[in-house]
Amino acid sequence: MRIRPFDFKVADSLADALKQLDQTGPDARLIAGGTDLVLNLKKKTVQPKVIISLHLLKDLECIEEKNDVIHIGALAKHADLAIHPILEKHASILCQAVGLIGSWQIRNAGTIGGNICNASPAADSAPPLLVLDADVVVAGLKGDRIIPVTSFFTGPGQTVMEPNEILKEIRFKPSVNPSAGCYLKLRRRKAVDISLVGVAFQAQTDATGKNIEKVGIALGGVAPTPIRVPEAESCFKGISIDKAFEKIKLCAQASVEAAKPIDDLRASADYKRTIVNVFVQRCAQQVLTELKIPMLKKIEGDL
Amino acid sequence: MKTIPMHLNVNGEDYHIMVKPNQVLLDVLRDDLELTGTKEGCGLGKCGACTVLLDKRPVHSCLVLALQADGCEITTIEGIGGKQLHPLQESFVEKGAIQCGFCTPGMITTAKALLDENPNPSEEDIKLAIAGNLCRCTGYHKIVDAIHSCTCESLKASKEGRDD
Repeated sequence: MRIRPFDFKVADSLADALKQLDQTGPDARLIAGGTDLVLNLKKKTVQPKVIISLHLLKDLECIEEKNDVIHIGALAKHADLAIHPILEKHASILCQAVGLIGSWQIRNAGTIGGNICNASPAADSAPPLLVLDADVVVAGLKGDRIIPVTSFFTGPGQTVMEPNEILKEIRFKPSVNPSAGCYLKLRRRKAVDISLVGVAFQAQTDATGKNIEKVGIALGGVAPTPIRVPEAESCFKGISIDKAFEKIKLCAQASVEAAKPIDDLRASADYKRTIVNVFVQRCAQQVLTELKIPMLKKIEGDL
Repeated sequence: MKTIPMHLNVNGEDYHIMVKPNQVLLDVLRDDLELTGTKEGCGLGKCGACTVLLDKRPVHSCLVLALQADGCEITTIEGIGGKQLHPLQESFVEKGAIQCGFCTPGMITTAKALLDENPNPSEEDIKLAIAGNLCRCTGYHKIVDAIHSCTCESLKASKEGRDD
């Protein structure tokens, strides 16, 4: 499969990449892992005159915790994210989701920055980042912009980024109180498939571990962008874990109402709505149970 | 289109070559270095036939621009085993895990990376690792069997069995 000719440039620093991108203008494309771009070059759906490679910017592959904030470099690969100890501890929902992307080969090349910038409504990394209240840091010639992931996506394949900006980092503050998360993805095959519906559910308790302090629910594949569903989240506001179990059905219903799926080749809108309903319930059940276990253990200890 | 110099270490040998920006790693390996063991199946990163190890990690060589691999270490099927077959290759032959053989180079390179990372993968680990490698002949059971019989524990067990 042939790729149309283009010029290849390598950026040796982020500043250099910004400069080259700005100089080349709209005919340039950045390449990170290439799992989407090279595919689109082969299909000829994009035909840039210049490709600027970021493969030398190793400092953007870094995943670290600094001053209670977790920083994920835009070039961190899915395979590294999926098993990273800091993320497994504080944001297991992200590990679960990126571990389901493509195949091992794809996860070894694809990056989280690429997944976000590609802005597929079904991107697996997006719902977890939405519920973790993550921000993205976008570098430009005039300096950095910090944008909440909730306002980053504007449509299928579209984001608020300017053509001469580069996504540098994703960061979020992990919960200090007990928290748990669950990501479920509907696909037609067990592996190497795009998600038809993705549901992310993240909850944290207050310091006592008995009451729900915060719930985040996000859906992928059922709207023009990945979305948060505050209407569904509010079902759990300020109630105990035990009470929360009773609200699961209500929350799932609210999620279904917020979803705006379309009929497409893969599944009907009705089917996707049904799946949102089922997956929100399954996620909630699992997360609440996980949050409840330490409480039960504590009671046993007290006895 | 002008060509650009690059350096690759393939199967332990250094190559200084000129490549075009629109060549993917697979093209360079097959057409320029004449290492035709690596196969092109779909060319779209879905079938895994083109799997090679890039700095020890399996990737689809059909989706990597060659110039992005500048300075990297590549292992292809030709680099697994030497004059003699690698135990994985032997096991594929023994268990009948090869029929038409087109997926085999990709299967074996992926399996090699798995066993290097985890010498004792479970059956589930094996299935997950080769999920991106399609085989239209064997039905996978024999492939999973072949990889499983190369885990540390299986090799130990079979050696002990022979000693008896």
